[in-house]
Amino acid sequence: MTEPTRVAAAGGTVSAVLPFLAGGTDLIARAAGEWIDLRDRTELTGIAWQPDGSARIGALTTIAELARDQRLRAAYPALAATAAELATPQIRAVATLGGNLLQRNRCAYFRAGFACHQNGGACCPAREGIARYGTVIGSGPCVAPHPSSLAMALLAYDATVEVEGRGHLPVASLYGEDPTRDHLLAPGELLLGAELPPPVAGERAAYVRATGRVQAEWPLAEAAARLVVAGGSVVLAAVAAGGVARTPVRLPEVETALLAGAPIAEAAARAATRCAPLPETRYKVALLTGTVEHVLAKAIAD
Amino acid sequence: MKITVNGIPLEVECDRADTAVDVLRDGLGLTGAKAACRTGACGACTVLVDGTPNAGCLLPATAVEGREVITPEGLEHPVQRAFAAHDGLQCGYCTPGFVMEAAAFADRWRAEHGDVAPPRAEIAAALAGHLCRCGAYEGVFAAVAAACAGDFDGGGPPEPARVEAMAKITGRARYSTDIRHEGQLEGAIVRSSLPHARVVSISGHQADLLGEDRTVRYVGQPVAAVAAPTRREALALARAVEVRYAPLPHALDGTPGGPPVWGPDERANAPSTSESLCLPGRWSDANLRGPFTFLSRRGRTAERRLAAARESGDPRLTGGTFTAAAQSHTAMEPHACVARWDERGDLHLQMSTQTVAMTAEHAAERWNLPRDRVHVAAEHVGGGFGGKMGLTGEAVAAAELARVRKAPVRVVLSRAEELACGGNRPGARMEISMLTDDDGRLAALGVDAYGRGGLAVSSMVASLARMVYGRAPRRLRDFDVLTNTPPGGPFRGPFAPPLLWALEQTVDDVAHRRGEDPIALRRRWDGNRKRQALYGWAERLPAWTGRPATGSQTGRYRRGVGVAAGAWQYMVDPATEVELTVEGDVVVARTATQDIGTGTRSVMTAILREELDLPAERVRVEIGMSDARHGPMSTGSRATASVGPATRDAARRLRDAGGLADGRRVVGRRRMDRLGYLTPFPVHGNAIGRGLAGSVHVTEVEVDTLLGRIRPLRVWGGIAAGRIYSERLARSQCEGGIVQGIGYALHEERLVDPVSGAVITTNLEDYRIPGIGDCPEIEIHFEQEGWDHVNGGGVGLGEVSTVGVAASVGNAVHNATGWRPHDLPIRPDRLLEGLSR
Ligand SMILES: Cc1cc2nc3c(=O)[nH]c(=O)nc-3n(C[C@H](O)[C@H](O)[C@H](O)COP(=O)(O)OP(=O)(O)OC[C@H]3O[C@@H](n4cnc5c(N)ncnc54)[C@H](O)[C@@H]3O)c2cc1C
Ligand code: FES
Ligand code: FES
Repeated sequence: MTEPTRVAAAGGTVSAVLPFLAGGTDLIARAAGEWIDLRDRTELTGIAWQPDGSARIGALTTIAELARDQRLRAAYPALAATAAELATPQIRAVATLGGNLLQRNRCAYFRAGFACHQNGGACCPAREGIARYGTVIGSGPCVAPHPSSLAMALLAYDATVEVEGRGHLPVASLYGEDPTRDHLLAPGELLLGAELPPPVAGERAAYVRATGRVQAEWPLAEAAARLVVAGGSVVLAAVAAGGVARTPVRLPEVETALLAGAPIAEAAARAATRCAPLPETRYKVALLTGTVEHVLAKAIAD
Repeated sequence: MKITVNGIPLEVECDRADTAVDVLRDGLGLTGAKAACRTGACGACTVLVDGTPNAGCLLPATAVEGREVITPEGLEHPVQRAFAAHDGLQCGYCTPGFVMEAAAFADRWRAEHGDVAPPRAEIAAALAGHLCRCGAYEGVFAAVAAACAGDFDGGGPPEPARVEAMAKITGRARYSTDIRHEGQLEGAIVRSSLPHARVVSISGHQADLLGEDRTVRYVGQPVAAVAAPTRREALALARAVEVRYAPLPHALDGTPGGPPVWGPDERANAPSTSESLCLPGRWSDANLRGPFTFLSRRGRTAERRLAAARESGDPRLTGGTFTAAAQSHTAMEPHACVARWDERGDLHLQMSTQTVAMTAEHAAERWNLPRDRVHVAAEHVGGGFGGKMGLTGEAVAAAELARVRKAPVRVVLSRAEELACGGNRPGARMEISMLTDDDGRLAALGVDAYGRGGLAVSSMVASLARMVYGRAPRRLRDFDVLTNTPPGGPFRGPFAPPLLWALEQTVDDVAHRRGEDPIALRRRWDGNRKRQALYGWAERLPAWTGRPATGSQTGRYRRGVGVAAGAWQYMVDPATEVELTVEGDVVVARTATQDIGTGTRSVMTAILREELDLPAERVRVEIGMSDARHGPMSTGSRATASVGPATRDAARRLRDAGGLADGRRVVGRRRMDRLGYLTPFPVHGNAIGRGLAGSVHVTEVEVDTLLGRIRPLRVWGGIAAGRIYSERLARSQCEGGIVQGIGYALHEERLVDPVSGAVITTNLEDYRIPGIGDCPEIEIHFEQEGWDHVNGGGVGLGEVSTVGVAASVGNAVHNATGWRPHDLPIRPDRLLEGLSR
């Protein structure tokens, strides 16, 4: 034992199948040993535009590319903004869409190597210890929020993902409450990319994250919103949130309220209805509704 | 595998599991890129891969195959000269990474925008992946802006703010983590996994690190060590070491009546959280030590007045309970030591330490060697802040392993070890009461402080209230709450930040209640003449005169301005000597001190050049070696005030001796101050001099009441520490002190799992130090009068520049929102909760 808290092998469920290596920014930080290198799979890189205006983004496309690409920024501004604000420039330069969607969670206990549901253990040390950065929606045995900001943005865009041998699936189907893992792909299953439907005419979108420090910090809560406003009323609303549940979530109650003509703050407050906070995450209720309120205001202002 | 490094095509051998930073550092000896966190959070490992900055610690070596890699050693860019001229560095450990990123950014910026200085926010966004614990951000902003504007295109070396700037910027400066001898092994420490246990047996280890009592008292306590040719092998060996424990009952939450951390006859072994000796203290419970009341002033009077006021519900009585989280030192260079025993049996320790001389003394004691058989070297030290004093654990492990393995051994703590066991400013709880009389004068002060230094004792939070606000009666009681967690230790201005957090906010409350300007009130209460001058400066600041009425705002974003005063002792090492030798054309200065980023080498150089009228190339300062004549530790803000006068004395002696004849040797001393010292004789080379250094910080914040974020926008730091030896270096120190104070106020919190006793903030994402985007705009103002009695005319300022910062943030938040924070750090959840009440 070299590190004080290394009571189980960090890095997740032990599996005989070697993991894929994309950008490596999550995998290598978890110090796993061997991998299957995806980086020569150049066919999985880049953004392809379909005639109907939809986009296919290869799994190996870097996050920097998502943030930079002019056409993507115009068509899917909330996705581009999410990409631009997450992590740091060096990370974004190599981290990939696929790796972001399939990264492991950032619970301090899990990362420090405590035995827990996520690595073959049968407990949640955060729940028994310090759960301040935990979930506020859902009440599964594991309280680690899902880490992927891009998954949350893709959810707001009703995107699908393509998995080798399984075709296209809704992005939401990658995730579940299973406390032993952060995504539902089987070991060895390869994510090929994501596909976003064509943007709706007149839609505006925004992304907001709540953090203590200004940058390079994991969000306490984050949200992406798409709105189409016509004749003074909202005719399309898609709102997703991250940092709050075991999976990225859509907030249908907020969407419904907006479509029914509720003012922004009131609609945002609806997000609270599905919250089931832990004693230590009660603040996240206000933070979530605040983040949603801000993202809606920002989308409308843009 | 083929790569091109710094323009040279190379064939390197590497394992698939190696990362690029390890191949460059260990395989190619290019140690400019540092592996400071290994999780992508700090940027110290940044290299350019085909022109793009990449975190070398997360880059598989195979990813750079066939690519063009530039390391800090291979970069040639105007940004480098800009960093040197604008002092965009202190200890320099983070600097090569910053410079690589800044170079790429400057090129991109200029291509897109031409030669104009970018806005601050653009620079911050570009450098978001870099952390600097010294807080050299203001210098970095200035350097990047100037380089983008084209100010440094014209080749030629600028006059650097510090002499070793270019060596650090280009990655050529060797820190202890960078040393690699022929045949050197890598060591790893096996640490306790239980908070309290007797160790029954250990197997598979090479060195035993347990004391005679065979007892571990916290998770992470060193138990044993192993060494192997590579780090990876050493870690594997360490994992294979088997330790059998007989668990003992443990205390983690500090509630009374818990199982004793130290048995009655073991208490004398409890380490001290304090820089000085352990204070005497009785134990009022198994895990509660104290009260220590020695520094009270008319304590009974204070107690009587406070009790009467409490009883009668006197409205002039103010106070409350304040808490502060533990803060990890988090030097960017982790604790590191390369140990080697030579054929004569001498011990050589090349280590990252603030105390080469004291470390050598302690090592001589530990291995029972004459003092001159131990040689400690610390040429460059990547930050210390109080966490690298004496014979630290990594050096013990390295030396023990080196002896067993008969080879040089390097032990470098991982970031997780560093954050868990590398030292911390103990958390504390302060109960404070303040009573004013009919004339609004301070009538009585009561402070009860409970320090939480883990298994270490001797907290002095309340006692420091002796230093402020005149001679009013005060009852000051310090307690230690013991737990089976790692020991706290001295950290930049030990004990003062938590005290001032409570005290200066309570003073603000008094002012608020009386409807008096907070600076005017302090001016009335504060007898310190030097701080009086600072108050005059502070109350004329436009930000202060234009501050909003407290609690008057209702919008989402609210601005506020807060003030806090601070004080710190003047410490000096009166035994300091500086030896000058003329070696050919060059005057070489030597003393057993070290430069941890404060600029000691540069201050000495400047004095020599001035006194002897010499160009830069004819002066060389060799410090960081314990074999030289006695010099000060780099702690307690004493290095400059000790070494400066001794250097000047040496220079004058050399002049008086007839000039720079080759081979001439003189020794300069640090002559006694005119009024002598408060301490009759130095303890550990430390004397407490007469007079207190003073500070006044004024901070402007913006509070986002919706998302709970507090942004410090601007900080004005007024410092009264006498004559400034070097304007730019002093400013850098004070700016860094402010950045660390901001971290303490808003972000930093070392968390210990209440069930297992393990620290869970073990990486630089979970342990949050301020990044460049969190750095406010800073202005420093020096009051230089009032220190004529001090030899050299000036005292240290490293500590006084940080102690009051958090309190000024607290007062600013109160001004903005009408809500007073009581608990540090002021996290978003706390702010939201506070505002909702
Ligand atoms: C300081 C810091 C802050 C950060 N903040 C954020 C943030 O706010 N939001 C956020 O979302 N992320 C954040 N990150 C995380 C970062 O975005 C991820 O590390 C990154 O996106 C992972 O991508 P990668 O390509 O490097 O993944 P890798 O490390 O290569 O892979 C991650 C996982 O996905 C698997 N995988 C990768 N590609 C495929 C594929 N095509 N098919 C199947 N499996 C695959 C791998 O086997 C591995 O298990 C932060 C990181 C740091 C260091
Ligand atoms: S060492 Fe690579 S980012 Fe910190
Ligand atoms: S100069 Fe940045 S860490 Fe010291």
